[in-house]
Amino acid sequence: MAESRRRVSRGSQEESAGHSNGFGGRNRTERVADTGDEDEGAGPSGIHEDDDDPARRREIRSQYRDLINSVHQNREDMLNPANNKLIDVLEEANKLFANVRQAREAALDAQLLVLATDLGREKASQLHAEGSSFDPSAYAQHLLSFMGLNRLEEEDGNEDDCSDGYLPPDAWQRLSKRVESCFKTAPSFHYMLGSFLVEPPPPRQRIERQRKAPSKEAKRVMPIQLKKMEESHQEATEKEVERILGFLNKYYADNSESPIPYYDFVIDPTSFSRTVENIFHTSFLIRDGLARIYLDSEKLPCIVPVEEGEVEPGGATTRQQCIISISQASWKEIIKAFDIKDGLIPPPEEPSQEDRQE
Amino acid sequence: MSQRSAGSGARRSRPGRSQVILDDDEPDVSSQPSSSQVQRARCSFTPQQIEQKVAEVVQFILIKDQKKIPIRRADVVKHVVKEYKGQYPGIIRRAGQTFEQVFGLNLVEIDSKNHVYILVNKLHPLPGEPISMCPGSPKTGLLFVILSLIFMKGGTVKEILVWNTLKKLRVYEGVKHEEFGDVKKLVTDVFVRQKYLEYVRIPHTEPLEHEFRWGARAEQEVSKMKLLQFIGELHNEEPQTWTQQYREAASVESNPR
Repeated sequence: MAESRRRVSRGSQEESAGHSNGFGGRNRTERVADTGDEDEGAGPSGIHEDDDDPARRREIRSQYRDLINSVHQNREDMLNPANNKLIDVLEEANKLFANVRQAREAALDAQLLVLATDLGREKASQLHAEGSSFDPSAYAQHLLSFMGLNRLEEEDGNEDDCSDGYLPPDAWQRLSKRVESCFKTAPSFHYMLGSFLVEPPPPRQRIERQRKAPSKEAKRVMPIQLKKMEESHQEATEKEVERILGFLNKYYADNSESPIPYYDFVIDPTSFSRTVENIFHTSFLIRDGLARIYLDSEKLPCIVPVEEGEVEPGGATTRQQCIISISQASWKEIIKAFDIKDGLIPPPEEPSQEDRQE
Repeated sequence: MSQRSAGSGARRSRPGRSQVILDDDEPDVSSQPSSSQVQRARCSFTPQQIEQKVAEVVQFILIKDQKKIPIRRADVVKHVVKEYKGQYPGIIRRAGQTFEQVFGLNLVEIDSKNHVYILVNKLHPLPGEPISMCPGSPKTGLLFVILSLIFMKGGTVKEILVWNTLKKLRVYEGVKHEEFGDVKKLVTDVFVRQKYLEYVRIPHTEPLEHEFRWGARAEQEVSKMKLLQFIGELHNEEPQTWTQQYREAASVESNPR
């Protein structure tokens, strides 16, 4: 047969032939008439050129898609027993299929076939062997009339157009009233005084709220406190170190000749703890190379600020570390021995101290 | 309430029932008229106790039925029957009797595998007489349209046909309706859960399609003959015009489930 010959001649398109088989079977007679001869005449080489023309293939695909879309869109129309649109679509598809050479197009053809078959099945289901058939749109129109549709003057327009007319607000109520008798629904049970108050939910909510609230607060407060303490502590140390450097520079500038005895500098005769703090802060100056301590002729430590130029030369090699320990007793002893009356480093102002404590 | 108390009166016409209600001491069954038995029988599983359980089950089912969602045996056992579990068949049978004799309702097991029950009115509504005191819900109308469509189309309809028909009635699939709210949800979820409709996927469809069938509750509650009569009325035809449907309706009528 021509059909089989055609398939053989295509050779490489076994797949496509396979796909289109169902369709081919359905339209065999027509297709043979349409294309069989051409195929034979064209010969393998001619077909081959045809096969690979992408523009042509694209066109076929787009035509198929259009057809499929139109079937989707006009589905209801096509189902209407009064028209032959389904046949029109099939004929259209047959024409398109005449030019199909490859699997991709054939797959679209198959897709259309599925649709068409489905429609066919539905159309068939409308055919009642006995009795009259049931038309949903006619039914809908009857329902609308029953529901009191005010058709206005569009009455003469076509029946399917449902956007006209005015449906009264109690339309569904009216229908419900009528059809209620078809239902054997058990009347639902209700307390005459309404149902009892459902108590459980509110307490549950309250519990949640209570739980949430403190945790939120805690979350809010804790990090802020921590942050602040950390920040202020660091800041305070830095500030204090700078402040002390300021004093050291000031005393040195006032009298650069006489050395500043270390103990005179750091000891606060009014407060042991301030003394300790001063020693602590001063040590930063030494570490950072902003000041240096040396022993004078009497082997007593003196402190001087390091001037810009001489910061680096000695480098790390000449650096020495030492640990100073001071106790309440030795502090008193030193005050007595050096006869220290006033601290060279005045205590920081009150507000800043408060800040730190907060 | 009135219905129920009348019922219990009929069940146990015992004098002094109203006093019993007054000194009812069990809070979770506070409106149980039969709770006298709580006091009377504190020992285990006396007939009175069983009676009490039956009453509780009846009330539970009545309240559960408010939403028209079918009642599952598992729930009845879990919430009411509890330690009387062994007595369940007897209890549910007697509850069914109570529904029938006292309330005029039928307790129907619509799913004998999973033991799901619904309540159906046993009494046929008289024409022209309101079924319930509250005005009918417009949803009944919507449900009727869908059920009738399914029935007239031979038992199954595609979802698309339902929406297309409803569209003609000014009800749109994706649009909030002033009476039905979210129509899509009402039709494909609420009616389905109430077992009025079945909403099933049609296999091998791309894009996905669904079809509707009658649910088990519809089969129990809805009279196909009356439905067909109304449709005939609308079309100004005799119900016999639709031979197949008429035959089906008549066969159900003659052998009620």
